[in-house]
Amino acid sequence: MSADNIHLNVEGISLSFGGILALNDISFKAREGQILAIIGPNGAGKTSLLNCLNNFYHAERGKILYNRRDLTKLPPYQIAKLGVARTFQHTALYTGLSTLDNLMAARHIHMRAGLLDSMIYYGRARREDIAHRQVVEEIIDFLEMEHIRKTVVGALPHGLRKRVDLGRALAMEPKLLLLDEPMTGMNLEEKEDMARFILDIHDRRGLTILLIEHDMGLVMDIADRVIVLDFGTKIAEGAPGEIQRNEAVINAYLGKVDA
Amino acid sequence: MNPLDTLPKNLIAAWQKYGNKKIAMRQKEMGIWRSYTWQDSCQQVRQLSLGLMRLGMGRGDKVCIIGDNDPQYFWAQLAIQSGGGVAVGIFTDSAPQEIQYIVDHSDAAFVFAKDQEQCDKLLEIRAQVPKVKRVIYWDDKGLWNYQEAWLVGFDELRSLGRSLDEEQPHLFEHSVEQGHGDELAIFCYTSGTTGLPKGAMITHRNLLAGCDSAQLADPRLESDEYLSFLPPAWITENVLGLTVHLRVGMVVNFPESPETVQENIRELTPHAMLFSARLWENMMGLVQVKIAETSRVNRLLYKIFMPVGYKVASLRYEQRKAVNPPWRLLYALGDFALFHPLRDKLGLTRVKSAYSSGAALNPDVIRFFRAVGVNIKQLYGSTEAQVHTLHVKDDVRFETVGVPPPGQYVKIAEDSEILVSGGTVFQGYYKNPEATEKALRVDEDGRRWFCTGDAGHLDADGHLIYLDRVKEMITLASGEKYSPQFLEGQLKFSPYIRDVMTVGGKERAYVAALINMDFENVGRWAEKRGVPYTTFVDLSQKPEVYDLIRRDVERVNRALPPAARIRKFVLLHKEFDADEGELTRTRKLRRNLLLERYQDMISAMYGDGDSVNVRAAVKYRDGREGVVETTVRVAAMQTEETGT
Repeated sequence: MSADNIHLNVEGISLSFGGILALNDISFKAREGQILAIIGPNGAGKTSLLNCLNNFYHAERGKILYNRRDLTKLPPYQIAKLGVARTFQHTALYTGLSTLDNLMAARHIHMRAGLLDSMIYYGRARREDIAHRQVVEEIIDFLEMEHIRKTVVGALPHGLRKRVDLGRALAMEPKLLLLDEPMTGMNLEEKEDMARFILDIHDRRGLTILLIEHDMGLVMDIADRVIVLDFGTKIAEGAPGEIQRNEAVINAYLGKVDA
Repeated sequence: MNPLDTLPKNLIAAWQKYGNKKIAMRQKEMGIWRSYTWQDSCQQVRQLSLGLMRLGMGRGDKVCIIGDNDPQYFWAQLAIQSGGGVAVGIFTDSAPQEIQYIVDHSDAAFVFAKDQEQCDKLLEIRAQVPKVKRVIYWDDKGLWNYQEAWLVGFDELRSLGRSLDEEQPHLFEHSVEQGHGDELAIFCYTSGTTGLPKGAMITHRNLLAGCDSAQLADPRLESDEYLSFLPPAWITENVLGLTVHLRVGMVVNFPESPETVQENIRELTPHAMLFSARLWENMMGLVQVKIAETSRVNRLLYKIFMPVGYKVASLRYEQRKAVNPPWRLLYALGDFALFHPLRDKLGLTRVKSAYSSGAALNPDVIRFFRAVGVNIKQLYGSTEAQVHTLHVKDDVRFETVGVPPPGQYVKIAEDSEILVSGGTVFQGYYKNPEATEKALRVDEDGRRWFCTGDAGHLDADGHLIYLDRVKEMITLASGEKYSPQFLEGQLKFSPYIRDVMTVGGKERAYVAALINMDFENVGRWAEKRGVPYTTFVDLSQKPEVYDLIRRDVERVNRALPPAARIRKFVLLHKEFDADEGELTRTRKLRRNLLLERYQDMISAMYGDGDSVNVRAAVKYRDGREGVVETTVRVAAMQTEETGT
């Protein structure tokens, strides 16, 4: 593993809530263009880890180096500007706006036109709007959301909301994409669709993807590398095949035989 | 290049006529309608066709296409046909095994597969389809990293074509000119409810004949907008979509994706539309649901003007009377306040021809759409002989499926099977001479007839009445046949009839019916007319109610030959009940049980008596059992007017 294509380097981060140690000295590296999955039973600290990565939570110790820049000192919006986007376990969308508007809103970090420009809506502001719409339409096409383009997000079923949430993250044109349980609450077909979209995004845009997931089967199919957390501690890391045979992982998921 | 007896020749003629000046196709992409002129279309077909030739496609080769409605589908098909090949459409939702069967059975040398989903299916069955040289896709999404020389992109095929064009600049024209009308154009595999699908062979002349006869019955104009959303593997889209497009120049629009059809219809407001009966019903249901949810003002307008719409539509279409000025004024107001906005929401503002095909459309749905200003017509056809009959102009009748369009002929065989003849009759099933022999019949004059397997009846005005599949018909003691499905289905369209069971068969001389009235609707009707009643039993035996139901039976009888008519009926004193096992939970009749349970009434209908005393065991909801005693009257229909 050469040093220059390390996209994300997490070094010994810890986080506690009161007396509970949510994350205990977690370290891992993600290479550029890798799909890295973080799995673990409920309460293992997966979402906490993700929240630390974009500084929703502040890690108490350790460093998070993104392109060799430490993220722990930056506010979340700055991190977003650097090209780190995420989706949420419970989608965080404007439920009163359409799919299209949700995606357009996500473009704001790339918008240059000021208030006055936008009010006049001629020349620069207009050109910019058209360019952003183009980007957004490409995402709508990519994620096959044409039929819900003008539908208010609040009226969409859960599976589609997840897709819009992914689209919103993509609209930021990130380099590192953090996906927090993108497949929870979906049926098998929706899960397969989502897995296909994740693979397509990876193929087409060459993003580094950090994926948190509960569903072992799907993770094993799409991830290049898997990290397993249990009670805030990293208990295993390796290729999907290795993880499936790892005894510590089996114990964490199924409970110890002798316990 | 005369005559224009193939689809590619028509394409070139249209290109010479319109060139870059007229839009041929439009598709919504990235939220914007993108248009292609005839020049663009022709250019695509030329390059694709030459590309196929470079890859080794020869005249008479079969090429399968699996894809949604896209310009690329039409171009691929025309490219195949320009090279003298036969296009074989496959439905996009086919499972890999079904695709394997058709690809293998049709001896396809190439397959066009739209996208990753379809390409994956073909890769899965690759070992079983060794005759396929290449698979060509037009949507590369997700296919970027496939390292398969077997898969070829559209652009790659076109550049192969361009290089061949440079070497032999007249090859394309020559190839098109070599084609003739009797060459096979497409295979349509019939879905086949029993056994394996059969590939109906259809020539260019068949398609053009279908188009021309439809044009005579209901002309499309070159300024018309058409939305292509019926499966392109289906004959209907080939004739009424692609062929009419080439022949007449109407603009074909393609939906953004299969899910956006409804939305795209509204944006486009096409001039012609063909929906299944089910879709029209859904559309009406949707309107009623939305009206219930809308603002009070809108609901009020709906309440005021719908009756006006129904009244005027009934005068105009059912009683065929002139509408007097006050009603016309009211209707104009209604159109402004309600009907036009409604049609606008449904994308029906410009529709000139609205067709329904498949099952018989419920008259309630027809009445509803007539009230809002859209006269839906029935269209009846098959893969093998295209459009058999349709309603022409305003001559729309609930019971019939219309008349044959000019150039098509329909006759009824002795076993009441519908036979169709005309330029559209197909050439047989590919590699299946037995099925072909069963389906095609040549008469003394050398005219070829397609045996539809459907039973029907022609009325005095030449309208065809579709009854059922021939094998579902039931024979009476006299040897004459009748259709339980038609009688029961048509009777149930009456708001006053809830269920019907017809009785007949080999031991009986005529058809009789057990009828369940619709208590709610008949009750309301009785209250309005001041007919007093106490219970279901009481109401069901009122002479007024018998007369009411008799009118419905008469209406249905009129459409049928005398032998197939209902001669006697009884109005049951109780409803068929699923709790008593008379119906299945999905409300299908349990015929054998009913025959036994109501045998007294049934034998009364075949005797001389005009009433019968019944004692019926009833199981109440709480589990108790009781006995109901009453007298049920038997009604006889008049038979003297039946003449023939």
